[in-house]
Amino acid sequence: MSVELNTSIANLRDLRASDLQDYDAVYLGDIYCRLYEGNFLERTDELREGLRILRDQGKRAYVASYAAPRNDYLPRVRKTLEVAAREGAEAVEAHNLGILKIAHDEFPGLPVHIGGFANLYTDAGVEVLRGFGAVRFTPNYELSLEEIHDIASTCGVPMELMIHGKMPLGVSDYCFLLDYEEKWGIKCPDLCQKDLFLKQGDWAMKSVGKGIMSGKDVCMLEHLPRLLADGHRHFRIETLSETPEYRRQVAAVYREALERAAEAAFEQDERWWRVVRAHARIGLCNGFYFGKSGMEYAGIRPEAAGSLLTISPSGT
Amino acid sequence: MVTLLAPAGSPEAVLAALDAGADAVYVGLKGWSRGGARGELTWEELGWAQRRVCNDGRELQVALNTIPLPHERSRLFQQIPALLDLGMRSLIVNDIGILAILRGRFPTLRLTASIGCGAQTVADVGFFRDLGASAVVLPGTVGPNEVREITAVQGILVEVMVHMVEEFILLGKCWMPSYVHLKPSPLPTDASAGPVPEGAERGLRQTGSMKRGGVGTCFKICQQPWDLYEGDSWREARRFPSRQVSGVADVAGYVEAGAHVLKLQGRSLPPDQLAPVVRRYREALDGVASGSVPADRPTLPAAWTVVGR
Repeated sequence: MSVELNTSIANLRDLRASDLQDYDAVYLGDIYCRLYEGNFLERTDELREGLRILRDQGKRAYVASYAAPRNDYLPRVRKTLEVAAREGAEAVEAHNLGILKIAHDEFPGLPVHIGGFANLYTDAGVEVLRGFGAVRFTPNYELSLEEIHDIASTCGVPMELMIHGKMPLGVSDYCFLLDYEEKWGIKCPDLCQKDLFLKQGDWAMKSVGKGIMSGKDVCMLEHLPRLLADGHRHFRIETLSETPEYRRQVAAVYREALERAAEAAFEQDERWWRVVRAHARIGLCNGFYFGKSGMEYAGIRPEAAGSLLTISPSGT
Repeated sequence: MVTLLAPAGSPEAVLAALDAGADAVYVGLKGWSRGGARGELTWEELGWAQRRVCNDGRELQVALNTIPLPHERSRLFQQIPALLDLGMRSLIVNDIGILAILRGRFPTLRLTASIGCGAQTVADVGFFRDLGASAVVLPGTVGPNEVREITAVQGILVEVMVHMVEEFILLGKCWMPSYVHLKPSPLPTDASAGPVPEGAERGLRQTGSMKRGGVGTCFKICQQPWDLYEGDSWREARRFPSRQVSGVADVAGYVEAGAHVLKLQGRSLPPDQLAPVVRRYREALDGVASGSVPADRPTLPAAWTVVGR
């Protein structure tokens, strides 16, 4: 069974620091902010180098694109797409419908994967996007596995599912963290490198400046057999805002788990759970895959519980 | 001639918008609009509003801008012939797939890609033109200079939501509320909507989803007080930034930039708060038409805004 495990990396520094042995493919670039430190999407030479590094490692190289561009982004977007096409990127990821149109009209040979911010909710939406050249589809994060299965079955298209990591919850025109440049004495682009969480009672979200992500890590480890049985073969571990250690260790868990999930009996290894729990500061959830609120966990693992949310402002 | 498109969430608000000088009014159809039940009209009210607006030589638009689950979708499409029978031609929708299907099945409809579709660039507008939209709504955060570039796209009308609340997360790109709460809610009882399909109870309307809600608004997660932590250390309590966008001072700029429609947010506003907002923009547009560009005015008082919509 051929399965793709992929992830996302924003810049050359993180790419060079990452052990990618358990990944098949990587999306290059930060989709939220042009000013993100060393963002591949703003640096032609570094993007070329990133693509070369992935190629040399035998990985499929994809190039991401901005989730919420404005007019003044578009010349840069065209430049990035041009580099992707010329340097042999195997696909670009479009979260924005205008960028999809540019890719379709101006770079017709470049395959396009639809990203989670493109608001793909329906089978009819797949048909529209397919008409603009899309070949792989990440459904909106709000869809359940049942709905995703219905769409995939109806349309006969490959879906890409995020199976682990912090789920994107929103994107802004503004940076949430710029207020703190003066207060904390830390300048952009270093601010969003910090581990910043917004908490209220049992709720928690992670801020990456212009992006908001789930505080909990989506974890589909228990449910891999179902995903494979549903016919899914393209899986993402979202690590854009994570460390190289997270990227490596979580991938190792999922690579092994996916191999076991393809077998008749899926035996889970306690070691896997220790790893994912150690990297989940707030706890685990299943996103929207089971038709519930995104921060809920539908499995039986006790590791899903537990968080830092009980810490009071004074730290006691 | 730029059209002033005003919201109305009740028959009384329709009258207020007309009296205040709106060229067109948009309303939600009960059960099918993203704005929620507080700002929707029943079929009976919709029929009355259509007659009233048409008698004035103006236009009524209907928002059908939720994204139904697949088994609900046929129910949405069942509404269209009755809308056409009422003489309605302009619908506001929020999903590219639904827009494409409506375009194919009902070629006489004028379809507007809702602000929730997230268009902000010249390329986005080109996408919706290619898809068959007649109009696309841009947020009022897209300024006149950007709109000037965007109106170069031929074959589609450009609407600007000049009066709106700007939340921190972009409209159509936010699922913070459903991350915290997702509450399936039943569709409203409506005999004219036909029987509820088998299996409808498994999903129903997804209250808490900005894109699929429609019976009530989101849970306003972005308006909650939050504690900001760096790692394990508490740093401060704060809220997400938000602001009222009041584009009265930019009306001349948008007109000069070639915007076709200036749209106002606020279907939940009571008539006495809606009327002065509409009037202010009417005066601004008339001022531009007569060559007397209105002076830069301060943001409208809080009571005139759509905060708490």
